Formats: sequence, structure tokens, C-alpha cells
Amino acid sequence: MYKLNAVDKHFPGVHALKSVDFEIGRGEIVGLVGENGAGKSTLMKVIYGAYQPDDGSITIDGTTVRFQNPRQAMNHGIGMVFQEQSLITNLTVMENIFLGFEHQFVSMGVINWSKMAEAARQQLGKVKLDIDPATVTAKLSFAQRQLVELAKVLTLEERVDGDLVILLDEPTSVLAEDEVKLLFKLVRDLTKRASFIFVSHRMDEVLELSDRVYVMKDGAIVDVVTKATADIDAIQHKMVGRDVDKEYYREQKQKDYSDEVLVSFDNVSLGTRYKDISFDLHRGEVLCLVGVEGSGREAILRTIYGLDKPDAGTVSIKGQPVTKFHARAGVENGIGYVPRERKIEGIVAGMNVYENMTLSQMQNYSKNGVLRISDEKLLAQKWIDRLGIKTPNVYKDCGGLSGGNQQKVVLAKWRSAGSDIILLDHPTRGLDIGAKEDVYDMVREMSDDGVGIVLVADTLEEAIGLAHTIIVVKDGVAQRAFDGFRDGKPSLFDLVHQMI
Amino acid sequence: MDAIAKSIGLDFEKIKPHLPWATLLALIIIVGLADPNFLRPQNLIGMAADIVPLFIMAMGMTFAIYIGGIDLSAQSVANMTTVIATVSLATFGIGAALICILVGAVLGTVSGFVTTRLLVPSFVSTLAIGGVAFSIGQWLSGQRALYMDATLRDGAFGWMVGNTAGIPHELFIGVVLLSFAWFLMTRTTFGRSLKAIGAGELAAVASGLDVDRIKIIAFALSGIFAAIAGLLFAVKLSGGSPTIANGFLLPAIVAVLVGGTPLTGGVGGMINTAIGTLIVAVIRSSMLYFEIDATKQQMVFGIILIVAIAATIDRSKLRVVK
Amino acid sequence: MALSDTTSSLAGAPGSGIYREAIVKWAPLLVLLVLIAFFAIMEPRFLSVRNFARIGISSAPALMVAIGVTFIIIMGSIDLSMEGTVSVSAILFAFAFLALGGTLASWAWLAVPMALIAGGFIGFLNGLIHIKLKIPSFMASLAMGFVGTGFALLLTGGDRIRIEDELFRSLLTVRWLNFPIMCYVALLFVLIAWFIQSRTTLGRNFYAVGGGEELAHASGLNVNRVRLMGFMLAGIFYAVGALLAVGRIGIAETATGNNFMFVSITSVVVGGTALWGGIGGVWNTVVGVLIVNVINNGMVVIGLPGWLQDGVLGLLVIAAVVLSTDRKSVSFVK
Repeated sequence: MYKLNAVDKHFPGVHALKSVDFEIGRGEIVGLVGENGAGKSTLMKVIYGAYQPDDGSITIDGTTVRFQNPRQAMNHGIGMVFQEQSLITNLTVMENIFLGFEHQFVSMGVINWSKMAEAARQQLGKVKLDIDPATVTAKLSFAQRQLVELAKVLTLEERVDGDLVILLDEPTSVLAEDEVKLLFKLVRDLTKRASFIFVSHRMDEVLELSDRVYVMKDGAIVDVVTKATADIDAIQHKMVGRDVDKEYYREQKQKDYSDEVLVSFDNVSLGTRYKDISFDLHRGEVLCLVGVEGSGREAILRTIYGLDKPDAGTVSIKGQPVTKFHARAGVENGIGYVPRERKIEGIVAGMNVYENMTLSQMQNYSKNGVLRISDEKLLAQKWIDRLGIKTPNVYKDCGGLSGGNQQKVVLAKWRSAGSDIILLDHPTRGLDIGAKEDVYDMVREMSDDGVGIVLVADTLEEAIGLAHTIIVVKDGVAQRAFDGFRDGKPSLFDLVHQMI
Repeated sequence: MDAIAKSIGLDFEKIKPHLPWATLLALIIIVGLADPNFLRPQNLIGMAADIVPLFIMAMGMTFAIYIGGIDLSAQSVANMTTVIATVSLATFGIGAALICILVGAVLGTVSGFVTTRLLVPSFVSTLAIGGVAFSIGQWLSGQRALYMDATLRDGAFGWMVGNTAGIPHELFIGVVLLSFAWFLMTRTTFGRSLKAIGAGELAAVASGLDVDRIKIIAFALSGIFAAIAGLLFAVKLSGGSPTIANGFLLPAIVAVLVGGTPLTGGVGGMINTAIGTLIVAVIRSSMLYFEIDATKQQMVFGIILIVAIAATIDRSKLRVVK
Repeated sequence: MALSDTTSSLAGAPGSGIYREAIVKWAPLLVLLVLIAFFAIMEPRFLSVRNFARIGISSAPALMVAIGVTFIIIMGSIDLSMEGTVSVSAILFAFAFLALGGTLASWAWLAVPMALIAGGFIGFLNGLIHIKLKIPSFMASLAMGFVGTGFALLLTGGDRIRIEDELFRSLLTVRWLNFPIMCYVALLFVLIAWFIQSRTTLGRNFYAVGGGEELAHASGLNVNRVRLMGFMLAGIFYAVGALLAVGRIGIAETATGNNFMFVSITSVVVGGTALWGGIGGVWNTVVGVLIVNVINNGMVVIGLPGWLQDGVLGLLVIAAVVLSTDRKSVSFVK
């Protein structure tokens, strides 16, 4: 029914989709799996019309279609349930469901609320959600919001002739176990109304729900398995693919770390976010926190950086128990933070290279509050040369640099300030391969220089490749710690097994 | 406009920062063509000197707008200062200036505190603190216009309004304050922090800047500059009243915006505000040269303003135009 | 890990206590009642019907203007053009009124719809400049305010126009249940605004734009059209405010619009409508306007010296905002 034929998509420096063939039949549930960066989200965007393919074609029932925007895709029955919620939280449930299509309930300029509520109830009935349609969306749980989004997409049924294809992007990431079961039952029931494309990195769930599973890696479909023949280990192998190239993660350069403890967690707990976490980060060590989104790894990072005060346990930095938790505590404790939101929290777009580099250490480049700008420029030039930052000069606005070079500026900011504890939060997110390798080089170099690194990695491979120590966190509890350097690298399956 | 720039082989991105002064130059040329008298140095200098109190207030406003806030108390603080300067002149002589600046700083600090710590939007907090300033002015003045003793005034502040080599001293004051503010913005850690907050507050927080403290200082500086504007005004008019500077607030905001410092902050700066103030001054005085009837002037001013804003603002810095 | 946790706002977080929610909802009204109680204790005459009528008269025009700008603020924009719009509408009304016979009993009643159309048209222009020239609403409306006030000055040449028609002045002079008619007119328009806010697509779309402009756009909403209609609607309400202002003093002049800008926006914020959009509404603004006017009136009634009143108003407004609204640390950037 719906087909992608040899679809190609390029971005500057990245071949995001490589001749992808994809097909979904009426009433079918198709899974799409792959690691972060494998091209899942690009493929989804092509399907629902946010991106246009560079090459190849899309056909519905044999007719070629081309969508300029998501709205055109919607008119062909293709709906999307977003991972990050797309409901407007200050509106009521029914307003969200019919946003932009209220006119069907308006007579003489007046909205007939009871008519809209009735229609909304009908839509909510499709997803078996029994709530008052006049509830303000902000009051719903995430699980309920997810169902409302699904109900909103299902209004296409009445608006569009022909069949529906609904994309579910990581629908289970915010759900509890029993909620997941309910959702799956619902989706199966809904196959008489629509076909579903289920996108997730949770292999077991995808296999449970889907009739067929497409496995993506590096922008290509590397396998299509049917439910009957599926083997979870085999799929995971395909998904993570290549036997990890040791050189890629600079494993030869990995050295043993020293005994000096930089950060120490002793039975630290914070509310529902994490519980009884203990570890030591040593000088020169790369410690990786592994877990799914929301497992508690981000909350632990926040505590190390001094943002959130734990309820129990002791956090020590270089032997001193941390007592003050506030926005600047991290910097005062000599900790550098490389954030996931590089463009918002990492660099200041609108400021040039040297301004960004000295932002956290202006006191070292000023006298009585007056900046020594020539010294700043020398510093910037030194780090531009040392890290190979590609910029025409030190005056270039960092907002205009490529992602990899922005990341280098952020790292240079902390390195040059002498931070010996650095938190890397998804440091390679959105970077192309070359830039990733540069980041791996820098990780090794920092290690050699005696910097302790806490890493939340983009992929498990990355975690295994880079880390000395791996701590697997699930639901706020440390499941297991692997000493990847002394005991040998854990396998991917060891980790996945602990994560989910 | 983009297409035109490209067709003549220019990169529009590179032209954008130059739009404000190009607009100023174009305006001067247009008025000059209409009446060459406008271009006489004496006339241009006189025009610039007249605008100095507004310019000083606009510089203060720039600090507030540069961090994404606004200071609606500037006019009331200036009003209050004219009164303080007048009543304290007899007792403190030139020390009156210090008192003015101190009071301006205190009120600005309070505005900043209410904005950053109590999380009241600066639009409301500064307006409210402006009310406090107005009350102080009314109380001190007994709700009357006051006059300075001419001898005392000339003794303490005569240097502010004199003339040297045909150049009014106000102009020197304006240039000195501009240099100071420019230096502060571009050459100090404080100015760098302002820029970081205006352009990317979250990154500034992540880099360990004390954002609240810096914002409070920015509002304090705005108060100080408003106070200096009021002081100069009092000396020029040889007196004070709690309403004497009314009608300055909106032009001061306009001067900042037309100069190219957007309400979102982070770009622009003091030189931009200088240019913006001159644009306002040229538009104002052009009315005389085009012999626009007094009753029409404000409307024409508004229309030219829309054109000037449309021509000068850099929309690429605004993510969503709200 | 994100650092953006620096909000004091709990709205939007699922499961954030009902308790807090109820407080945020009712706090402005509570603040109003406390103020009334305070002034009543200080001076019992404050509670007289006569005095409440006085508060009603001073509130009515400001309330209309504040309701107009409420729609804009709910969208997350701002409108600073009200002073000009009020003056122009008032003057055009007065001219038309006098030209058409000078009394409501004649064709001069036509001047009323004409004034509303004029207000709507200025609002439309305002929105057009904002949307088509892509100028932020703060700047566009500020400049349009200059144009409006300037146009008013051009129309009058600085003169005052007197409206002496008794029928029109009955807005102020005729009282039902001790309150002048203008209070009931204001109430009627509050109900109309409430109707627009709660029962029309346009009204609901204001909330959608303010709650998430990009999401609303993605859902197929024509955001620019909603904005344009919003500015037009605001202009009409400014014109209603202008009519009541003329009815109150019997004079239309360039200065008719003076002081409306800051008072109305302050009232909106005090009432609990957030400057970043999506939260609040007409009833919040009613309470906000009453808070500001009760403070103003109360200070006079208890005999606070005139010079002190602006300062006290300022401090009380800060206190009211702190006590009664849900705030977060966003800069004022619109």
C-alpha cells in the first residue's frame, strides 16, 4: 500500500539515507529499529513529509506522491505521534484534538462545546481513554497525553479518504510497564483502522508488537525480519553491526588511570530519580553512565555538577564533601560541563570564538575587571591549532561553526580553564563521523592529562569503546558496574540485558 | 532587499550590521538636499548637543534592553533627579551630583532585585519603581516647579553647559559617557557577561556566570544613567520638577531599538544607541526643514519610525516574531 | 541533563498539586478582597455604594482597554498602541457625532459604530505592520502609538471637542441601582469578551498561539491570521474604552488616551495573565483592573497624601504580582 522506493537523503557531510526501500501494508504493524544516528528519524521525517527525498520515490497504492510539508502528508492519511509531546498544554483535550479544524463545530460563529466534546469523546473512545474532553491537557499524565495524541491523529480517519499510516516515535519511552501493555493492545485493536510504523530502540517491545521489523544502520536498511523468524540477538548484531573497530574509539591509546579520587559518591539518593548510587571517579578515568532515557543518569550528572542537592549520602569532590548546591557550584568545584544541548547551553551563538572560550574563566583574562583581549585571542588561537578547530579566525561567531567545531570550542573552554573533572553529556550527538573521531581523540588526550571524565554516551558502542568503567543504571538504581579496562570490555548484550 | 544586495555582489549578512548608520547617513543626506543649511557644522553640533540628555537616558536603557529586559523607570528617575539636584544644590554644591547618582543607583538596584529575585517582569517592576521615584520627586518638590539659584548653579555645574571653541559642553559629557559605557560593554568582564546573558542566558549559566548579580548591576547602571540625564537636564533648565522630563521615555526606547539593539538583547550596543539617538534627532529636526506643521509632526515621526525600524532591524536574530 | 530548570512555575508539570493550582487561580481575587478589607478597616466610608460607583466609573474605560490588550498578551505578543487608538477613536467619534446632529436621538448614534470601526481599522493596520514587515509587536505597536497620537493631534489641532448631548452623557449621569450606565455598558462588553474568549474559534486560537505557536502552526492553524484578528479585536475594545472615556468627562481630545498604556498592561499582569502568553483571560483582567483602581481609590479615601500615591501604587503592584501570579524567570522579550 505505502512504499518508499530507493529513497536517498543527503545532508552536508552526511549521507543520511542510503537507497532505502520500505513498505507497509493495510492493517500491518511494522517495526523500525536502529541505534541513535542510524537514520530512523530522518526516515520518519521523509515519511510524514517534513523532509523531501533527494532521490527515489514514494508511492501510495501505486501512485507516486510528493509531500512538500507534513500537512500534505496528513491529507494522504499519514499521521505522526511525536516522541516529544506536541500537545499545547494550556488547551483542553478536545481543543487539542481538533486544533485547526474547529470549524466543523461552529455555527453562527459560536463553538458548540457539547458537540465538540461529543466528537472528542468519540475519538477518545477509539483509544479507550475515558477522560472528560474538557480537561486541561497539562493535568494529564504523560501516558494519557500520548493517547490523546493518538486520538488526534485518528481524526484523520474521518477527514481523509483511504487508508491511514500512523507513525509512533518511541511511544513507550515515557510509559510504565503496564501502560506499555495497554498501549500495545490498543494498537493491535486499531489495526482495523490504520497501519502503524513503530519506531523504538527497545528491541523486545518492537518484536512483541510488530509483524515485520526493519533494521537500520548507518542510513541503510540492513535487514527485514518477520516475527516468525526473528531472533533478538541476531537483530541486535545487525543493528550495532560492524565488529567494533578498536581504532575507531582509540582503544590503543587507553591507559590505566591513577588512584587519586576526584569525585566520590557514597550511597547517594535523590527522591525518585536515583537511589543508593556509589562510585569513585579517578584521575584519568573515563566513567560511563549507561541506561535508557530517564533512567537516572542525567539526574546523577546534575548532582555531580552541583545543581541538585541529594536527599541522602555524601558527594565528595577531591576529598571535600560538597555542601553547597547551586547553579555555579560546578564551575567553582573545577568541573566542566559539555551539555547535550550544545547550541543552547554549550556555546553562546552571537559570541565569537575567543569570547566563548574564556566565558567560564574571565577572571584569568582580566585585570581589575578589564579584559586582556589580546591574551584571549592568543589563547583561542592556541586551542584552535591544538584541536584543529576549523574557523577562519578568532572573530568568527560560534553560531556559524559546524557542530563538531562548536563542540571543540566548548571542550577548549573547560580545558583551558583547567577543569580536571569534565562531564560529557552526549558529546557526539549530531556529529558526523570525522567530528566524532576528533571527540574520541580529545577524550583520550584529556585522560592522559589526568582529567576525570563522566560520560553519558550516544550509543552503547561508544560507551564500551571509551570507558574504563561502565555503570548501568535502570530506574534510578545502579544495576551493575563493569570494569571495562581491567576485566575486558563488556559485550553489548551484557549491557542491554541490564538496561531493560 | 536580499535579492538586490546579491545582484550587486554584496553579502547581505555583512551589510546588516551597517544598516543603522547607513540609515542615519541617508536621512542626513535627504534633509541636507532639502535644505543645505541643515548641513552647516554649527547646526549639526547644536542638534547633537540638544539631544544629549535623551542620549544619556538611552544609554542607560541599552544596558537593560541588552540583557532582554526594559527599564520604564528611566523617565521618572530623571524627573526625580531634577528635583533632588535642585533642592540639594544649596547645601551640597557639586556634591548634589553624587547624591543624584547614588539615588539613581539605588532605585535601579531595587528594580533589578525585584526583576531577578522576585521574578516580576521588568516591564512591571521598573514601571512600579518609576512610581516610587515619582513619589520621591513630588515629596521633595512639594509638587511645584523649583528653580536653582543662578550663582550656585554656575558655581557647581556651570561647566556642564558652557561652550568651548563653539562646541557645547553637553557634547563633551555625552562623548565621555559614551566612551565609558562603550568601554564597559566591550572591554570588561562585566560587558562580556552582559553579552553572554543577552545572547544565550542558559550557556552563561552553564559557564558559571552569576547571572542575577550581573542583571541587577545592569539595572543599577540604567538608573545611574537616567539620574545623570536628569542632572544635566536640571542644570540646563536651571531647575527641576517631577514632570519636567516627561516625554523622554518612549523616544529613549525608540533610540535604542532603531540603533539596532533588539528587545531580545545580545546584539547592538552603545555605538548603536548613539546612532539610534541621532536618527531620532535628525527625524525630529527634519520636520523644521520640511516645514511640517507642528500638529503633523508626531504622526510623521511615527511613520518614519516604522520605516526606520523596518529598515534597520535584523530579523535573523529573532527566532519567532511575536 | 538540562540547566533550564530555573523556573518557579509549576504550571504545565503534570501532577503538580491541585492545591497550588487553586491558589494561582484564585489569588488575584483574594488579593482584591484583602485590599478592599484593608481600606474598609482604615476608612469605613470606603465600603459605601457611592464609593463603589466611583471605582466603577474610573475602572470602566481602563477595563475596556485592558481587555483589548489581554487578547494580545494571551497570544504572547504585546500592544503599546492603545493611547493613540483611544484618542483617534474618541476624536473621530466626537466629530461624527457633532456632524450628524449632536444627539443620540438623531442619526448621530451612527458615530458609535463608526468609532468602533475606526478602532478596529487602526488595530488591523497595527497587526499588518507587525506581521507583514515582521517587526516585533512591541516596536510595531509602539510606533503605531506615535502615529495614532500624532493623527489625533492633527485632527484636533490641539483643541478639545465637547459632547454635551444629555442622552450620551447619561452614560455617566443616569444611574441604575446607584451605578451609572457606563458601568453596565462595561459589564456588557466584558460578557462579550468572555463570550469571544470561551465560545469562538478565534478566542480559543489566541490560547493556542500563546501556548505553543509552532505547535499550533504544525496543527494547521493560520497563526498570522489569528494575530491579525487579535489586533483588530483589541482595537475595537480600545474604541469602546474611548467612548466610555468621552462619556465620563464629556470631552474628546488628543490627551483622551493618555495613561492608558501602562495602567492597562499593569492591570493585565496583576490579574494573573502571563506576559509570555497562553495563561489568563478576561476575568483575570477584570480583577486586575479592579485591584489597580481599588488601590488608587482607597489611597484617596484614606487620605494618603497625593505625592505618596504613585510610589505606594508601585509597591502594591509589585506585591500583588508576587502574591498572585505564577511567574518564571523569562526575560521580557516580546
